Amino acid sequence: MKNTALREPKTREHEWRYQPTEGHWDEALWRKGFPRRHWRELMVSLGRMGFQQLSRRWRAGQQLIQTNGITYNVYGDPQGKERPWLMDPIPLVLDAAEWAGIESALMQRATLLNAVLGDLYGAQTLIRNRELPAALLFGNSNFLRACSGIVPPQSVYLHNYAADLARSPDGTWWIISDRTQAPSGVGYALENRLVSARTLPSVFSQCNVRHLAGFFNEQRDGLLQLAPNHRSDPRIVLLTPGPHNETYFEHSFLARQWGFPLVEGADLTVRDNRVFLKTLAGLEPVDLILRRMDDGFCDPLELRGDSLLGIPGLVQAVRSGHVAVANALGSGLVESAALMPFLPALSRHLLGEKLGMPSVATWWCGDPQPRQYVLEHLEQVVIKPTFPRAGPGAEFPARMSASERENLARRIEAQPEQYVAQEQVALSTTPVRTDAGLAARHVVLRVFAAWNGHGYSVMPGGLTRVSTEDRSLVVSMQLGGGSKDTWVLSAHEQAFALRAGPVPLSQPRGFGELPSRVADNLFWLGRYAERVEAGVRMARALLPGLSGEEDFGRTASIDTIVHLLAGLGFLPAELLHSSIGHQRWQVERLLGNMVFDPSRTSGIGWNLKHLRRVTWPLKERLSQDTWRVLQQLELNFSTAPPASPEHRLVMAMNLLDQSIVTLSAFAGLLMENTTRGYGWRFLDIGRRLERALQMTEWLRVGIAQAPFENEPHLELLLQVADSSITYRTRYLTNMRTEHVLDLLLADEANPRSVAFQLATLLEHVQNLPDPSNGESTPHDYEVAGRLLSSVRLAQAEDLATRDADGNMGALEELLGQIKTDLYDVSNALTARYLSHLTMSRMKSF
Amino acid sequence: MLYQATHITRYRYDEPVSHCLNEARLTPRNFPGQVLHQSRLHVEPEPAMMERRKDYFGNDVTTFAVFRTHDLFSATATSVVEVQARPFADTPRIPWEDARDQLSHHATDDLLEAYEFVFDSPFVASARPLLEYALPSFTTGRPLLDAAEELSHRIHSDFRYEPESTSIDMPLLEVFEHRQGVCQDFAHIMIGALRSLGLAVRYVSGYLRSGATYQGADASHAWVSVFVPGAGWTDFDPTNDVRPSEGHLTLGWGRDYSDVTPMKGIALGGGKQIVEVEVRVEPLARTSE
Repeated sequence: MKNTALREPKTREHEWRYQPTEGHWDEALWRKGFPRRHWRELMVSLGRMGFQQLSRRWRAGQQLIQTNGITYNVYGDPQGKERPWLMDPIPLVLDAAEWAGIESALMQRATLLNAVLGDLYGAQTLIRNRELPAALLFGNSNFLRACSGIVPPQSVYLHNYAADLARSPDGTWWIISDRTQAPSGVGYALENRLVSARTLPSVFSQCNVRHLAGFFNEQRDGLLQLAPNHRSDPRIVLLTPGPHNETYFEHSFLARQWGFPLVEGADLTVRDNRVFLKTLAGLEPVDLILRRMDDGFCDPLELRGDSLLGIPGLVQAVRSGHVAVANALGSGLVESAALMPFLPALSRHLLGEKLGMPSVATWWCGDPQPRQYVLEHLEQVVIKPTFPRAGPGAEFPARMSASERENLARRIEAQPEQYVAQEQVALSTTPVRTDAGLAARHVVLRVFAAWNGHGYSVMPGGLTRVSTEDRSLVVSMQLGGGSKDTWVLSAHEQAFALRAGPVPLSQPRGFGELPSRVADNLFWLGRYAERVEAGVRMARALLPGLSGEEDFGRTASIDTIVHLLAGLGFLPAELLHSSIGHQRWQVERLLGNMVFDPSRTSGIGWNLKHLRRVTWPLKERLSQDTWRVLQQLELNFSTAPPASPEHRLVMAMNLLDQSIVTLSAFAGLLMENTTRGYGWRFLDIGRRLERALQMTEWLRVGIAQAPFENEPHLELLLQVADSSITYRTRYLTNMRTEHVLDLLLADEANPRSVAFQLATLLEHVQNLPDPSNGESTPHDYEVAGRLLSSVRLAQAEDLATRDADGNMGALEELLGQIKTDLYDVSNALTARYLSHLTMSRMKSF
Repeated sequence: MLYQATHITRYRYDEPVSHCLNEARLTPRNFPGQVLHQSRLHVEPEPAMMERRKDYFGNDVTTFAVFRTHDLFSATATSVVEVQARPFADTPRIPWEDARDQLSHHATDDLLEAYEFVFDSPFVASARPLLEYALPSFTTGRPLLDAAEELSHRIHSDFRYEPESTSIDMPLLEVFEHRQGVCQDFAHIMIGALRSLGLAVRYVSGYLRSGATYQGADASHAWVSVFVPGAGWTDFDPTNDVRPSEGHLTLGWGRDYSDVTPMKGIALGGGKQIVEVEVRVEPLARTSE
């Protein structure tokens, strides 16, 4: 017998040779060379396709993962980097009969754990009657005493539940862990499905694979029913810890799928024991919070005292019944592995049923007999902490030295209730595609159940995770393992579905209104983008002057440049009186640093960092292209500068030229891909405000404070403002202050002029929602209007007039006024819409 | 003894606070040995919401929210409480090991309730150094009360009472190494030491009678309560090396400071804050009854 899985005549490629690991159940083969019955169809069509073709499709699949922006954040990465999702093209296949067993076991488990939670947060009879050791309750830091006595709507503590399953060598499935806090994975499972259905379209449809869409609808229906007060159109939000969370991708993905706003703690506020979403239009009531944040962090007042995440007052709001949280606060309590040995008895007692699927053999060391067993069989078990806590997670005595094992045994004996031992399951294997051909990897299957309003529905599929190396029994996305789609076969033909994902859901009554935090981020995105652009333009206009032999319109002498830079505060004023050589050297150094040194606060790199910081939380609102462009920009400015000074200048010039183009692409993408709602307005307000401020400053330093009518100054200003060509077409080559002022200050048709920014600003402010409902004229609107008229009324000739001492009083005054008023508008807008005070803990006494 | 207790907490901010949300545990608890006659809480600026409830441990909690912009905040709690002298005689001579074993079997409701206080809590975890510190007092077969009293005495003499020397965020073992702190620290050390032996201990928050020569008068005070099977909860004040009686007014109890913080809150805005606390506990002449 040849060692090939697939014996189709066309596929004799050596890559198809698949060698399962001895001593483990193999998912695909029942014995060497023979696929199991439910794998046959897949194997045959893979065989027909050939390894090369599969690899090509796999690359296309990878592309899709990139395009869809499926990522997973890795903890401990200082850069907070996202990693593309790792997925293998060959699905895990399960047959209908086997699935029926998993499904009913999962429904039962969810029901059981829900009942246990109800008891422990209620009468605690399980403790009184000794069905469960009191230590497992009292010693568990996930027992949130503040939530004791709170009964959630319909007594549903667990809205969603997930379990990790493993298959032992005899083919039995075991539950190796329960996830009851805020289980992750459904979104990734759905994405895997979208990719796999596209990678293997024909075999997918031949195989009668059960669709996932229905599950998402049922999950959502269940949520709607959990909203208190039976409102017909409850408002639901999805609460995320934020963009740095490892599964943030999934949070934004699910929020989009279900049409729920994605919010962070600071977006919500509690008034009168009710929860509200802070939007531009005011406070919008929230009925239900689907949380992806661990419960301890959800309320800094009543829960963890060492965190300021979450929503102060949330527990009291839940207690008073005005809002529901799913999963209920406190549900992390039953995640403890120490519960497992007691579940069979609890199932009989609470449900009157035999436990459908066993848990992996587990011993809680708090009981003397199991402890004795564990200490005697230390090398055969994995040791885990009973309760979540800092310190070591799972420990593997088999890999320890004798003294390490001794030490562990002593620790167990000192605090036995803190330890749980579990049998190490010899995980089953399944084929994965590697560059060297098929290889066997160990499998853990995460399956999901959700409350549907009457009971639990189980997603007909799951998130299959595989180990990184064939020998490793550790399966973890954090440690770089991969994932697979999970195909549950149906005995019946599946109804034709256009999409592999959920059918489009009818939007629940949405919040058309923009959360204030998002508006705030967009506002700053606009400001930083403009600040970066201003820096690039300035450096690009000034650099050629240094080489001394540029066709730089006329001649911008070094002292003009020094004067400007000193006026803007970039260089010390004393430099004006230094020698030309010293001046040149200083300017060169400054511009070099602006371009190459990301730690300089005036630098382009520094502003780019801030740009990225405000852009990051807007991830789900920006297109993939926008991200790519931003990354390109950052890459440009993180290149190491060349050693030779001359080379530095040339390279800087190239970089700046490139960056102007990239920046324009960035600005274009932002403008073209942002829906013209309030969000777009805030983005543009930020941009206009910043540009007006920058231009005002340029005019002040370049004209009002210029020592005399200085053509090179004017020329430079036009360069920076990208208005040289307009000027020349309009005024030919006659360089005059009043013309420059007309073009850069008053001309509402020039998109770089102050007046243009002010007019646009006024238009935006006029169109923002009015939380006071017209009762008063908002201050920002008033000031913006006044500002525009004062610029319109000003006469360029008057402004350009110098008195006997060469001072330009009228211009100085106007520019000063513009600056003050712009800050005033900004503050008024912030106070009206974006008020984001930092939360602080009052000192306790 | 009948007391009038006044507890004023003032916050001064260098930037305005737009709103704040607070939880106060400033209502003295009713229990055999203490009777609450009156209590009220006055907050400025006027709160938009104020509610009372009982917490998990049966203490009275007042939750309130202020929505007016302010840079000064004050909460004044006043109460009239009768504190009875506690008898110390007739206490059982139960060996500490028996107490420990009874707790771990928790055969009665009382024992089960007490058992909860054997476990680690947010501020107090049992630890080897604490166990080793306790052991010299907990010799084999020694009655629990004697041993606990000696431990309280030793903490009093080994640790220096030093206001401002610790902050509540300092890990317990660090406080233990420094051998100095305030009443919360003294209480936490004793709780940690006893829990390391498998005994049940509560943290008690309260006041001392003003004018007493004790440490911790004119501020909020804290001490511990040890569960003695057969006798119930028995208080010790390691800060002053006394058994609390008529001079100790109880606000409430929990596993540690975090369960019974007299006043905590979250403010929006505020910048830097300066806090002043003032406590007066004056005996009241008994009106004719």
